[in-house]
Amino acid sequence: MAALTLAIPSKGRLKEQCNDWFAGAGVVMEQTAGARGYRASFAGFDDVEVMLLSAGEIASSLFAGDIHLGVTGEDLLREETPELEGHLHLIKGLGFGFADVVVAVSRAWIDVATMADLDDVCAAYAQTHRRRLRVATKYAQLTRSFFAQQRISDYRIVPSAGATEGAPAAGTAEVIVDITTTGATLRDNGLKVLDDGVILKSQAQLAASLTAEWSAEARAACAKLLGKLDPAGPLYAALAAHLSA
Amino acid sequence: MPAFPYYGSASIEALNRQASALLDLFSSRGFGREEPAVLQPAEIFLNRYGEEIRRRTFTLTDPSGRDLALRPDLTIPICREAVLANRSFPARICYNGLVFRHQPGEPHRPTQFFQAGVELLGQDDRAAGDAEILTLAVEALRVCGVKDFSLRIGDLALFGALVDALALPPQWRSRLKRHFWRPGYVESLLYWLSHGDGTLKLPGTRAEIETLLDAQAEAPLAGRTREDIIARTLGRAAEAASLRLENRVAGAVTQLLDISGPAEEALGKVRALLKTVAIDLNSELAAMEARLAVLRGLGVDPAQIQFTAHFGRNMEYYTGFVFELWARDKEGPVQVAGGGRYDSMMEMLGAKKPVSAVGCAIRTERVLAARTAPQVMGGV
Repeated sequence: MAALTLAIPSKGRLKEQCNDWFAGAGVVMEQTAGARGYRASFAGFDDVEVMLLSAGEIASSLFAGDIHLGVTGEDLLREETPELEGHLHLIKGLGFGFADVVVAVSRAWIDVATMADLDDVCAAYAQTHRRRLRVATKYAQLTRSFFAQQRISDYRIVPSAGATEGAPAAGTAEVIVDITTTGATLRDNGLKVLDDGVILKSQAQLAASLTAEWSAEARAACAKLLGKLDPAGPLYAALAAHLSA
Repeated sequence: MPAFPYYGSASIEALNRQASALLDLFSSRGFGREEPAVLQPAEIFLNRYGEEIRRRTFTLTDPSGRDLALRPDLTIPICREAVLANRSFPARICYNGLVFRHQPGEPHRPTQFFQAGVELLGQDDRAAGDAEILTLAVEALRVCGVKDFSLRIGDLALFGALVDALALPPQWRSRLKRHFWRPGYVESLLYWLSHGDGTLKLPGTRAEIETLLDAQAEAPLAGRTREDIIARTLGRAAEAASLRLENRVAGAVTQLLDISGPAEEALGKVRALLKTVAIDLNSELAAMEARLAVLRGLGVDPAQIQFTAHFGRNMEYYTGFVFELWARDKEGPVQVAGGGRYDSMMEMLGAKKPVSAVGCAIRTERVLAARTAPQVMGGV
């Protein structure tokens, strides 16, 4: 068992961009034979075990302390634990995987441009329909804390597993909170982002779990890896400040 | 109390004795005991009430996929039953049972505790209803043997009447009332109102609005009607044209929200301030005076009654008079009871017409701790 475990996305564009990013920093990944493609290693870093997991699993494994480091979307990390402190440390934004988590409503709602407008409509809706306006999302935590911060309480969250953007047209929710890169999918579904409705500007993050077992060997391996990834930056020092002695 | 309390036989006995005393008192005043199920359909808490309650409610899914909740209070299920059973009013209902609260960010607080309480539904004489419940709350503490306690009182209707007296568009009035209970928020809205330039880029005529809407014919109406959207757009345009609140008036409202202190004195300050802006809230102030008279009649020391203008309790359903009773346990001041008026709840739960409602809940474990703690003189 290697001293340090690091998880990277196992498929899709995020996986390719992630590999390119590590390669660009001179860290080359080698697939481990016989591990069915879910285990790998970095050439020259014998103490680091690389695991290939889904982006969502990486976020929950970091939160649970099952792995030391991971690369995944900041949206997933913040949804896993809205209060990062004591759980996760964001080491570095990697400059890819950009996407915004946004509040979107129908373009037919020409009278709704801001969260304050949405608040009025939520309150009026609750009064006339005697039930709360529904917000479809897979980001329940992020939505709850953003709406609380915007002082909106007259709504309820309906969990959405996929195709959230279709919910208003399908009649399963009135409003959505979803991730968008270009806004094209939202537009195609007759939706618009509220002016002050950007909850999070997300990108791929290299993150550390603060609840994992950080042995002396793990710390040493991590210091060596981070030193290689960004020789100019004090990445490991910043992380070490958050690790308990 | 620990997050997961364990009740030993001594504390069960003490709690039971205290509960019997409370229920005897309630029963002697015509309140009949009822008990809703511990496990409730989640919908009544989540759909009718907002995320604030949801955040503190334990929810679970049964094997068939139905969403359930451990009751976060007994008021909502009791009111719901009163609506479903088509009860005749006035109805006097009392209870004693466990409630369950998720305490996000506060892992040391108990996830379950006992509440004993009363609900008075459909008593149309609101002043009489307020007096009856306030009296019962004070008597309840005394029956339990708590002699030293203080009160915090407030009235959301006072603020509502104040907002109605302002020359503001309806949309803004409802916004101010809706956010009354959020610390700092009303103040920032008022600041914005008196300093903003009020310009809003919205079409002003119905024809312009219809054209805009037609251009979005592909987009879903998402639960609203075309007419609703047109009406609100027209309203916003009219509002933008008229939106202005005199600095002087906004300043007075902000000052008023800051008033807090011994009740008689604080109400005097409220009167003086209202006079400077020529706003008349005499009937709301008289209602508050009447409640103070009730407390005097019960022999409560006026120095122990604190009026706080912005006091709205941090629950979403209160609409009028609100109060809290505080005592001391061995660690310091602790809220032992709280209640107030929630006149919109019965309609939210499906009643066909408005039903007045006022009630009070007692944190019996805290009362027990306060009763057995060594008492020091002086208020909270």
